[in-house]
Amino acid sequence: MTDVTLYHWEPNANSGKPMLALFEKGVAFDSHYLDLLNFDQHRPDYLAVNPLGTIPAMTHGDKVLTESTAIMEYVDEAFDGPRLMPADPVDQWRTRWWMKFLDQWLAPSFSMIGWSVFVGPSVRQKDPAELEAAIDRIPMPERRVAWRKAIHGAFSAEEMTESQRRVALGIGYLEQALGQREWLASDEYGLADINGFNLAYAMPLSQPQLCNDELTPNIMRWLRAIYARPATRACWALGRTDLARRISLLESEPA
Amino acid sequence: MTGILYHGQPNGPSFTVLAAAFEKGVDLDLRAIDLVAGERHSTALPHAIEVDQSIEGEGPVLVVDGVAMTDSVFVACYLDEVGSGPAIRPADPYARWQMMAWCRYVIERVAPAAAALGNAAAPPPAVPAGIASADLAARWTEAVEGKVEESRLTDSRTKIVQAVEKIEAQLADGRDWLMGDFSIADLETHGWLAGMRAIVPDAFAAAPLTDAWEARLRARPAVVKALGLATIPEPEAIWAPGPEINRWG
Repeated sequence: MTDVTLYHWEPNANSGKPMLALFEKGVAFDSHYLDLLNFDQHRPDYLAVNPLGTIPAMTHGDKVLTESTAIMEYVDEAFDGPRLMPADPVDQWRTRWWMKFLDQWLAPSFSMIGWSVFVGPSVRQKDPAELEAAIDRIPMPERRVAWRKAIHGAFSAEEMTESQRRVALGIGYLEQALGQREWLASDEYGLADINGFNLAYAMPLSQPQLCNDELTPNIMRWLRAIYARPATRACWALGRTDLARRISLLESEPA
Repeated sequence: MTGILYHGQPNGPSFTVLAAAFEKGVDLDLRAIDLVAGERHSTALPHAIEVDQSIEGEGPVLVVDGVAMTDSVFVACYLDEVGSGPAIRPADPYARWQMMAWCRYVIERVAPAAAALGNAAAPPPAVPAGIASADLAARWTEAVEGKVEESRLTDSRTKIVQAVEKIEAQLADGRDWLMGDFSIADLETHGWLAGMRAIVPDAFAAAPLTDAWEARLRARPAVVKALGLATIPEPEAIWAPGPEINRWG
């Protein structure tokens, strides 16, 4: 019996953030899986929950929440369970700084690469008229542009080069930060780690030349430590595609 | 508690942090720097990742016990935690979510638009030396050379119009402040929009609730004190490169 419902796609990126936070807090929730590749998030029944058509969204009683990072802060404050935001005010600032940096600087670059190699090809074979109609139903103009680019493979070489530049730099910043402390923003596992893991868990597979035991031992240590947590296992078990299954690469031993 | 706050003219993110510090009664060593001259990149300031890679662009830097903090909304959250003045965030988790989601909207949609328009209207004279972030350096070059595409400026004006519409709708139930009680959301929203009255006047042509809200805000003692730190008549007309316009939806 729960009054929490989470509307999500795979345990990955934005959807995975509140999912993993709920599992870490031990909050029971109704999982409402939306198939992003089938445009479930732009159908009327979901738009009635979140008119912007972005994933994830969470309802708690009659309250509706969107924006994955803000939802995580709510989950931490509204429910009992282990504290996921550090107690120290400077650590709180660092947690939020890193979440913003990941959400708005690093994640968009991973998304551009991910959508060009996975999301675009996954939906491209659908009927063109059906695809166009699906895109026309997307409420946010920015999302319509992104979907069209992904489907038509229209990311420019310049955009992709810039994304790859940021991915390489971002991996370096993560390695540097995780060389300074055990967890990303403080000495305890918390929201910044949950956020970062959702972005980074597949990096050793997708960016093997940049992220590996030799070059980024601290990132690898951090990813394996998060993978070992029971909440992470339970969360990723809700995945239905090969995207989520990439997590199994973290079963490897340090080289 | 004491710290050093490096800040620019009281506009944009510098306004938010200065006003938040005064609202909370946090005693800081205030050091004015010329953001337009690129002084944030000088060797006089610390250069941790969180300073050099702050995606806010030319915002203030608060140094406490050797830790250099950036990004105005989160620095304001810090000041709320450590200061003794009345809270500037709601206590209720859902109300707090509303405030953080509102601030995210301002940070992600409004601030890049305001910074693009502000820099186009008052371009900085030169690209300073020592900018660690290549994408921030690129925004400086664009601003100095006036190279921002017209389509982006048009879209930015639309974003400002939409922001004022959103404020009007938020205030429609007669509330004084955006979140009900006064909060960081009021400061951050005003910080980015104050300079837009001159640049996108149409957005404010029929916005009586926004006008009244802004007048209330600018009458607050902490805000008066922050604006009083300006060394020029119109701090809201001073701009240096800010956050980038989203590359990805």
